[in-house]
Amino acid sequence: MNSVRVGFALARERLRGASAPLVLLLACAALFAIAVLERRSDASSAPDDVLSGAVFGIALPILAYLVSERVCAYQRLTRCVDDVARYGTNRRAALLGVLLASAACSALASALLTIVALLGAHASDSSSLASDLRASVGIALIAGAVYALYFAAASLLGKRGGGRKWALVIDFLLGAGSSALAAPWPRGHVRNLLGGEPVIDLSQPSAWLALSVIGGVCLALSIVRTRE
Amino acid sequence: MSVLRLEALNHEGLSNVTAAFGPGNHVVVGNERDGTATLIELAAGLVAPRAGRVLLDEAAAWSNAATRQRIASLRAEETLLPAPDVTRAVALALRARNDARSAASVLDAAGLARFAKQRVSTLTPHESRAIALSIALSHHEPALLALHEPLGAIGLIDEQCILPALNAFAAAGAVVLCTASRLEDAARLGRLASMLEGGQWLDSTRALSALRAVTVRVHTPEPRRLAARLAEVSDISGVEWAGGQELLVHGSELERVAQSVVANARAEAIRITALKQDAPALEALAAARAGFTGPT
Repeated sequence: MNSVRVGFALARERLRGASAPLVLLLACAALFAIAVLERRSDASSAPDDVLSGAVFGIALPILAYLVSERVCAYQRLTRCVDDVARYGTNRRAALLGVLLASAACSALASALLTIVALLGAHASDSSSLASDLRASVGIALIAGAVYALYFAAASLLGKRGGGRKWALVIDFLLGAGSSALAAPWPRGHVRNLLGGEPVIDLSQPSAWLALSVIGGVCLALSIVRTRE
Repeated sequence: MSVLRLEALNHEGLSNVTAAFGPGNHVVVGNERDGTATLIELAAGLVAPRAGRVLLDEAAAWSNAATRQRIASLRAEETLLPAPDVTRAVALALRARNDARSAASVLDAAGLARFAKQRVSTLTPHESRAIALSIALSHHEPALLALHEPLGAIGLIDEQCILPALNAFAAAGAVVLCTASRLEDAARLGRLASMLEGGQWLDSTRALSALRAVTVRVHTPEPRRLAARLAEVSDISGVEWAGGQELLVHGSELERVAQSVVANARAEAIRITALKQDAPALEALAAARAGFTGPT
């Protein structure tokens, strides 16, 4: 348990600094501006458009990618806990701590982006804001966590975890479809949860399950592929 | 009583290194180009060997957390764990080692308390190594200390803090494996010496003959003539002239080399303006010769 806490602390220290809050702040400002523009263009579809496009389509994957890169110290996943492993910390347990920190950070950041975007997309007196927030924040939390685990598992590839970049590209390209090719990637299932086109005609409860499976498989793969 | 075994180790310049180290002080003489830094990283389980095995008490440290917890190490280049200041970086390291002591007490014991509030990013490489050494020396019960050039930290940490600590660990049954690029440091660090030369392992018997090699710098207005004369002398194994008025004269016995240089220069009526031994210092060589004994 101590090793998990050490891994969590290591990730927290790696995320510390001015740049992470600054990027989050800029992303929030940009999404709010986009949401306001969407509302002025078409108020009725603005929340859906800004969530499925700017927030979950672009900002969230990129943010999770950046968080993953930072907590891994720009290294391959299996090497990212070597700094604490030298003192006797179990690598697998420490990695679990790093992944939990990464998932929590991405999930919270995604929720924040979603809230800001919805505040911009809804008029101040809108009656549907509260219900939209309730529905979307839950999706943001799981999507953020799954994307973090997805990029972590991809960091198993490449000398310095370059698989992360490929994972981002593949999610953008293959996840955009609705065929079986889109099933292994988070994007299509997140889109389904937001009311968009489902992947291989999966229902929304199945999309929750699919995201959980992707997150679980990525987590298991990351741990199993790391030496003690 | 712990035993460290290196078996047919091939990794980044190290070539088929096989050696065993029992409890006590061990010094490997050589510099980073010879592979000493890599040797320490492998011995401490910081990297996995490409070929061969590194076993501490029959367990591979690289893939065994419990074994790594019994190892204290100092790398050639150290970066402290990420933290806003030194105290918190050391605290995280101690936490990773499951050590309940406070970071302040560890820094204080090594005389490094002045760095406690300093930002980690502002430390020099020398300071980072000294702090990493203080963490290593604070280990309560190590089976192995694998330290690269520990005396390099002198200046920041008192020698009287380092050497007695290493001796105490050795006396308690730990394997204390240090590297030194200077013979003088090797003589101060330990009794049992081996050597790495271009990645090749020389045990203490072969290391001793290699360590006996001496170089004398000779300054003369006529270096070419003197070089030609010395090239034929049996006591001298080689002569180098890189231009200018300096010759590097190599041999195995300092006195014989010096006598040969002087005698041959006199015979040719060549004036010598300076004659000095290249590093290491004379007393260090003497100390090293007197101190090194047979292999483990």
